Amino acid sequence: MKKWVKTGLMGILALGLLVTATGCGGGAPAGDKATAKKTIKVATDAAYAPFEWKNEKGEIVGFDIDLIKAVGKEMNAEIELVDTPFDGIIAALTNKNVDMLISAMTITEKRKESIDFSKPYFVAVQAIAVKEGSPVKKFEDIKDLKVGVQNSTTGQYVVEKLMGEKSPKIFRYDTTPLAMNMLNNGDVDVVVADKPVVQHFLKNNPSAKMTLIDDTSFEKEDYGIAVRKGEGELLKQVNDALDKLEKNGTIKQISEKYLTGK
Amino acid sequence: MDFKWKIVQDYADLFLMGGWTTVKVTAISVMIGTVIGLFVALGRLSHLKPLRWLATIYTDVIRGTPLLVQIFIVHLGAPKLIGQSLPAMTSGLIALSVNSGAYVAEIFRAGIQSIDKGQMEASRSLGMTYAQAMRHIILPQAFRRVIPPLGNEFIAMLKDSSLVSVISLPELTMAGRTVLGSTARVWEAWLPVAAIYLTLTLIFSRLVAWYEEKLSVKTHR
Repeated sequence: MKKWVKTGLMGILALGLLVTATGCGGGAPAGDKATAKKTIKVATDAAYAPFEWKNEKGEIVGFDIDLIKAVGKEMNAEIELVDTPFDGIIAALTNKNVDMLISAMTITEKRKESIDFSKPYFVAVQAIAVKEGSPVKKFEDIKDLKVGVQNSTTGQYVVEKLMGEKSPKIFRYDTTPLAMNMLNNGDVDVVVADKPVVQHFLKNNPSAKMTLIDDTSFEKEDYGIAVRKGEGELLKQVNDALDKLEKNGTIKQISEKYLTGK
Repeated sequence: MDFKWKIVQDYADLFLMGGWTTVKVTAISVMIGTVIGLFVALGRLSHLKPLRWLATIYTDVIRGTPLLVQIFIVHLGAPKLIGQSLPAMTSGLIALSVNSGAYVAEIFRAGIQSIDKGQMEASRSLGMTYAQAMRHIILPQAFRRVIPPLGNEFIAMLKDSSLVSVISLPELTMAGRTVLGSTARVWEAWLPVAAIYLTLTLIFSRLVAWYEEKLSVKTHR
């Protein structure tokens, strides 16, 4: 009896592994690696429109996704996307669950201690979202308010710098849209997050009475594609691809499609 | 593996405060849940059909939906329902208590039904009303039998309360997520959290065992 259970469990496990292994192979038979294109696993937190989100069909789409697919094409590789919560995304890379990260990730000194970044592919700034009629005019004004951020984002870091890392008035949420919902709810008084994401949320939720405050004192932030430390060859290929896509106007095209267009 | 103790030390008070909040949230929810559960169990065993139905619907709905979904419904739904948002602590306590109530109700129901029918019959023939018999004869006996499963419920809730971290309630799991988010160090973030949960559950299971022992001595002849 026990043996039977064990065999059954092993079978299920094997089946699970098989499904995972062939899941994104487009029907290619397993073990046919020699002839198949090489596959690069890329983690992204698909809750960050317009950079990456899941459309109604469950496909991950967005600025970053179009970009990484274009990069993959330049590198003659298949891109396999892995949806990963943002607070665990760097760990997913360092643990070798994936080979690369693209997730509207700002290049910071602190992150560079554990991972390597490509050249910047996009420049973003933070924005402050408040409810209409809020007295907040600039970043300094939020000091004594309840502030919502997405956990592990640069939004969190700038707020922590202002208010102290252990301030009980910083509320960290899984995603920026959730933080924005909490603002609408009244849980927090302001949300600090990447400007394009806040803009996208406001555009899609006109009934939420919220506005965006620009504060020019925020530092510009460069988004980069991340690879594990010591993967110089891979990084070089990515940078070459980015160079090429920049020159032939692909990046501009993608940017117009997701950010300035419509 | 390079484990950086300094990170654990730096964030020690965050972990400990988180652990304390977890204990508080769990204790309050299970206490409220026990009261809810007792009444729902009595409802399920009642002779009044509407009461029975209500109690059954409650346990079915709560046990049939994930706690995470219930937390989101309570917290994000409150403003739509009462026109005002609740603090994360309040929503968390409501969701956890209501959830706990459904499980405790089934524990109590099983406990009450495990008491021999003759006990009720004997009490009634002594002239007690149904309510008196329940209160003085059946429930005290049932209570002793439900201590182990109630202890289980507490331990399960201690761990399940980690789900309220999604609404940024600063409990133990939230502390782990915060440290992971700030340092991107996996072991330094989650090992202290696991250790604190383990310590709490071990302490509590020993307490339950001790209490059980204490109650059982009285009944030995």
